[in-house]
Amino acid sequence: MGSYYDIDAILTDAQKVPCTFDLDIPGLGYLDENAGGDIKAGTRVSLPLWLSTLLAVQRLGPSSQQLCTLDLPASISPRVLAALKAGPKTVDLRQLASHYYELAARVLELFEEEEIVDVLGETFKERAAEIADHAHNPRGALGEAQDFLRGLDEMERQLFRSAHGSSNAMREWMGETKKKR
Amino acid sequence: MYGDHAFKLVQHAKRTQALVHLPHYQTELVRETTREVRDLDKDVSNILAPFEGSFNPSSEPATACSVLVNHLCMRRNKRCLLAYHRVRSDKLEEMCWSGKDILDQEQQAGRQGNGEGSGMASEAGNQSSLSPEEEEYIRQYGDMLAAYKGQWTDIDLTGSLEPPRDLFIDVRVLKDAGEIQTEYGAITLTKNSQFFVRQGDVERLIAQGYLQKLS
Repeated sequence: MGSYYDIDAILTDAQKVPCTFDLDIPGLGYLDENAGGDIKAGTRVSLPLWLSTLLAVQRLGPSSQQLCTLDLPASISPRVLAALKAGPKTVDLRQLASHYYELAARVLELFEEEEIVDVLGETFKERAAEIADHAHNPRGALGEAQDFLRGLDEMERQLFRSAHGSSNAMREWMGETKKKR
Repeated sequence: MYGDHAFKLVQHAKRTQALVHLPHYQTELVRETTREVRDLDKDVSNILAPFEGSFNPSSEPATACSVLVNHLCMRRNKRCLLAYHRVRSDKLEEMCWSGKDILDQEQQAGRQGNGEGSGMASEAGNQSSLSPEEEEYIRQYGDMLAAYKGQWTDIDLTGSLEPPRDLFIDVRVLKDAGEIQTEYGAITLTKNSQFFVRQGDVERLIAQGYLQKLS
């Protein structure tokens, strides 16, 4: 998912997901705000993606001991999915997670949740149409437009910027905005 | 939590991508991150010391987990550091190719800082936003670029990609730049004066920021 140096991939990985430890681990207490102590089995911690995904896939020993289990983050909880099904354009994705789609993609790589994939796909399609509309028809400082644009996550924001930039560049190239350089 | 300094660095990198100029080099954050990596490495050596090379992860899952977490933190810090420097060096290279004279601009910024702070020690007046390594990098990159351009004398590889509309253009002088020679005689460039000159003569100075084109 993204190259090693890609800044957006790095920021995606920094987002947190809930994790439950299955073992007692000495010395990792700081993860649970308990510096210098241990983590007991069954503790729930919020870990960033770069740590949790790699820990969750570890299987050690003859009994295939699992280190920790990953849970779905709150941003793709059933409550949020219901809201997305009802009105995808009104949900503030940025508040749930700054790189919402990338986070969901990374987490869904490890789980089998067809329904979530479908809901997110539909959401993206509807929001993308709305973004294209806003990009090509500037509506000034209308309240609704501002709220929608503020609620876009990072990927949608880049989509908006490139759509807006490209339509402007096209108009300029066609000679409609006579810019005497 | 490990990785916080690295996260701040990546946020700076993200901001840098959106800006036109290069913000200051975050020496403190970089130093903190490398210090963290060194500490993590020490921790790993301490954990593995009693085993003396014959560590079996399957028999000691808890210890293996600690070692793994430390290792992942180190890898994360390394990735963030590399990405931060990569973004900055990409930006510097881009500025080189667009013809800006970066070292000259940095020196001017330094001189301005020194001038305003009368009585300050000379070392405190370092206003450059590049680290010393970056300055060295940009110097060598500039030399390499000049050598590459030198192979074709009739075309300027770092010049403007836009075809000129007029032969002569109006320019305003932004900074004092001494005297330049044109086909029609010498022109003295003093700040805020305007001239009607041949585009080809002044293109270089516009790219370097001494002149401003008037439409």
